[in-house]
Amino acid sequence: MTSISIRDVNKTYTRGNTRAVADLNLEIPASEFLCLLGPSGCGKSTTLRMIAGLENLTSGQISIGDKIVDANAEGIFVPPEKRHLGMVFQNYALWPHMTIEENIEFGLRIKKTPAHERKTIIDTVLKKLGIEKYRKRYPSEVSGGQQQRVALARMIAVSPEVILLDEPLSNLDAKLRLDMRTELKRIHAELGSTFVFVTHDQWEAMTLATKIAVMNEGRLQQIGTPEDIYDRPANRFVAEFVGTLPINIIEMNSLDNTTFRSWLDAGIEMLCLGDQQVHSLGIRPETIDILPGTAGADNGNALCSAQIIDLVPTGGNWIVELDIAGARLFALKAQVRDLKPDQLVQLSVSKQDLHAFDAAGDRLVPTPSK
Amino acid sequence: MANLEAPPPTRRGPVLRLRKIWYQSRTWAANPTVALGVILSVLAVYLILAPVLLMLWDAITVDFADQARTGKSIGELTFYYLDRALLSPISKHIFWKPLVNTALVSVSVIITTLLLGGTLGWLVSRTNLLFRNWFSTALIVPYMVPSWTFALAWMVIFKNRKIGGPSGWLESLGITPPDWLAYGFVPITVILAFHYVPFVILLVGNALKQFDSQLEESARTLGASPLLVARKIIFPLLRPSIISASTLVFAKCLGDVGVTYIIGAPVKLDLLATSLLRTISTGQAGMSAVLAGAIVVLGATSVLIDMKLLKAAQRFVTIGSKGSLHRTTELGKWQVPAFGFAATFFAVSAIVPLGALFLTTIMHMPGVFTWDNFTLDYWIGQDLVTTAMPQGLLLTNEFWIAAWNTIWMVGTASIGAGLLGLIVGYIVACSPFRLMGAFLKQVTFLPYLVPGVAFAAAYLSMFAVPRGPLPSLYGTGYILVIALLASQMPFASRAGIAAMMQMGKDPEEAAQIAGAGWWKRATAIVLPIHRGALVSGILLPFISGIKGLSLVILLAVPGTDLLTTYAVRLVDFGYTQAANAVAIMLCLIAFVGTWLGQKVGKSNLGSGIGG
Repeated sequence: MTSISIRDVNKTYTRGNTRAVADLNLEIPASEFLCLLGPSGCGKSTTLRMIAGLENLTSGQISIGDKIVDANAEGIFVPPEKRHLGMVFQNYALWPHMTIEENIEFGLRIKKTPAHERKTIIDTVLKKLGIEKYRKRYPSEVSGGQQQRVALARMIAVSPEVILLDEPLSNLDAKLRLDMRTELKRIHAELGSTFVFVTHDQWEAMTLATKIAVMNEGRLQQIGTPEDIYDRPANRFVAEFVGTLPINIIEMNSLDNTTFRSWLDAGIEMLCLGDQQVHSLGIRPETIDILPGTAGADNGNALCSAQIIDLVPTGGNWIVELDIAGARLFALKAQVRDLKPDQLVQLSVSKQDLHAFDAAGDRLVPTPSK
Repeated sequence: MANLEAPPPTRRGPVLRLRKIWYQSRTWAANPTVALGVILSVLAVYLILAPVLLMLWDAITVDFADQARTGKSIGELTFYYLDRALLSPISKHIFWKPLVNTALVSVSVIITTLLLGGTLGWLVSRTNLLFRNWFSTALIVPYMVPSWTFALAWMVIFKNRKIGGPSGWLESLGITPPDWLAYGFVPITVILAFHYVPFVILLVGNALKQFDSQLEESARTLGASPLLVARKIIFPLLRPSIISASTLVFAKCLGDVGVTYIIGAPVKLDLLATSLLRTISTGQAGMSAVLAGAIVVLGATSVLIDMKLLKAAQRFVTIGSKGSLHRTTELGKWQVPAFGFAATFFAVSAIVPLGALFLTTIMHMPGVFTWDNFTLDYWIGQDLVTTAMPQGLLLTNEFWIAAWNTIWMVGTASIGAGLLGLIVGYIVACSPFRLMGAFLKQVTFLPYLVPGVAFAAAYLSMFAVPRGPLPSLYGTGYILVIALLASQMPFASRAGIAAMMQMGKDPEEAAQIAGAGWWKRATAIVLPIHRGALVSGILLPFISGIKGLSLVILLAVPGTDLLTTYAVRLVDFGYTQAANAVAIMLCLIAFVGTWLGQKVGKSNLGSGIGG
């Protein structure tokens, strides 16, 4: 099984002196399903293309397995065709002049697989992906979802140990995306290859990845399991980028709402941050508990009075818009049977759901107790 | 991309630097666009840029013959030629008059083509004109016929007693056409206009075809009259295609030599291009460079204006938007007049000239329609009284040599141009060095701005003398082949760029990931995908190459005659019937070529037309 190691990689485009990737270090263990997540232009696709050898490095080193494939300072460059990878492109890049069968066969021919083996492999992958009846058709004669399956089939036919996927689900409709997500997970489990998956869609990343690397402006922001990323964002960028309903961010410096402030201060107190200055505070909408009524206590958490302004259905969940003495806060609830607009309620948040950031936007962690 | 500052420079040893260079060259070696780009850039400089610059250089350096007159030695800088062409007493005849004539002819041609072509384009694209589909092909025919064949046909009908050779039909009917109708400005304008109407039909017609009827309808629902809609909605949105068509026609008028050569000479009417031809054929390198330079400047200016206006127009491009509607206009009571108009145009621009040409080749006496006057002598006769052509055309050796020359020279040049065009497209679309792509794109477009005669003159100054490893090429077929190839690069490279940009790098990269080396990628992926583009990139230059005259008229010698130059030589000798027969054969080859091109390449002639 094959790991990937990216060390001190920089990629600068000469035009405009822009830095697409800056000081990137990533260790991807064998059989990992790593998602590179970030907004468009964050350098995630460039990173993927550098692993593939389709872009060269400005400096740094990339190894696949125990072989260095790209090392600027050593003068080593293994061209893409010698890296033995599998890759699925965003627009699939199927060869329009070959039938689906021929598309899949191409890589096997290059590998000089004997004819009878080729046939067996093609039959197997076509069947596995449920596209055997389209084998004689040309790519333009099948639907987008089927093209996607052909692209996957073409890639897995050569059973690569490293599989690179560049936003492969972004051109599919919602239903097909769900299907393909399951398919990808199954393929990962079956092949046990190392997957690197680029996406800007955090839902895809959360549901597929064993590890997520969040990137922004060419820099790695955080790498961790989906839970790490979601529950313990390393900085404000990650906190704000991840989450279907955006996290509530409260700028503590400019907060002069005393009701709100005293509640938050009580929360910050529990975080044991010592004398570190909290610049901003993040609270995910779904971690806010709403207690009907105007009094009571909740596991020792401080409470805060608020008024419900509106309840917005999103199909399954409800967005609860809250007013705290003039300040706005959003909560997300699965059911709102005992809530109604204008109702006065109490809010409560557990301390592990309070995310404190310093002036630079980095996460503040408790200082070791003296 | 993130706009971060570049990393601070680190200390570098010489070994490290060497390794980095090695790394860079390894990545370039993996990317064939780099090597190909370098080779092609060198070729482009050698075959296009250098000849043109070398010729323009002649405009300001003393020529061998003018050392005494200028009092300077050969190669020294001088304003003698500029002065002579622009300010001296003879400048009026060499430069200013031809310039005014060129301007008058081009403007009249543009106006006529826009009026005729605009109307016809609208009829075939937006109305229920009778036989609309048939007309949409038939009205393009005048473009496939070489423009100078129209001039020959005009002479067949309107030629008067002013010049020698067989008399015109009208003259033999006892009517002597006046000189203004027989030669000069009027026929030149009419012929060029008829020849270039298809451009306008295609460009404006295509734009109209994509025009969303909802745009008209929404204006109508607001209470605008049809005339107001035409003026305020349709015309402004069509303006880009009208401008492009005008530029194209203007560039063509600038470079056209054949028509004026045949039909302007009897009344001594010169355009810039024929004036250039005259200075070249009398060996005045400096003067011809000045004239060619003037034509290049005019052509380049028109293209720049076109690009500027198009850029401005792009801001309101709505054409081809999603969910557009294309309703046809019911002609109603105008059905018959409209049909009559289209049919008349077709008759006058295609049937009459080709018919007249053909008839002269099967008649002893022009315009005498009696049975005993018909003959096949000019095609297959033997022991004829004409001294230099004792046999009919099909039995004459020179004809077959010229036909074979046309096919192999133009064929080789077109195949070369098509392939190189595709490679240029590949480099423009895929090269990591954008500058190289931009350079190739511009240089391969340059011949478009240089009229054929001037380009030929450039080739003479570049290749008529031994240069480096190459011996003098003048008088050989090679100079024609490479000149044809270079002059066809504008469309070949445009076609290649369009095809490659549309496809992008992904299919090739996918093959690379699958383990295919560059040769395998080129032969199994890139070329097959672009087969259609390649076929039309070869056939369109072929069709435009076989009928072109201005480029080859200077470069061909009797041993390397092409059908076009052979026909003109026959005209010069007064063998009108034989010349007309050659023209008919050429049209035949052009038709067959076009038909094949559309069959094999499944290409749309409209998208590649331009030569």
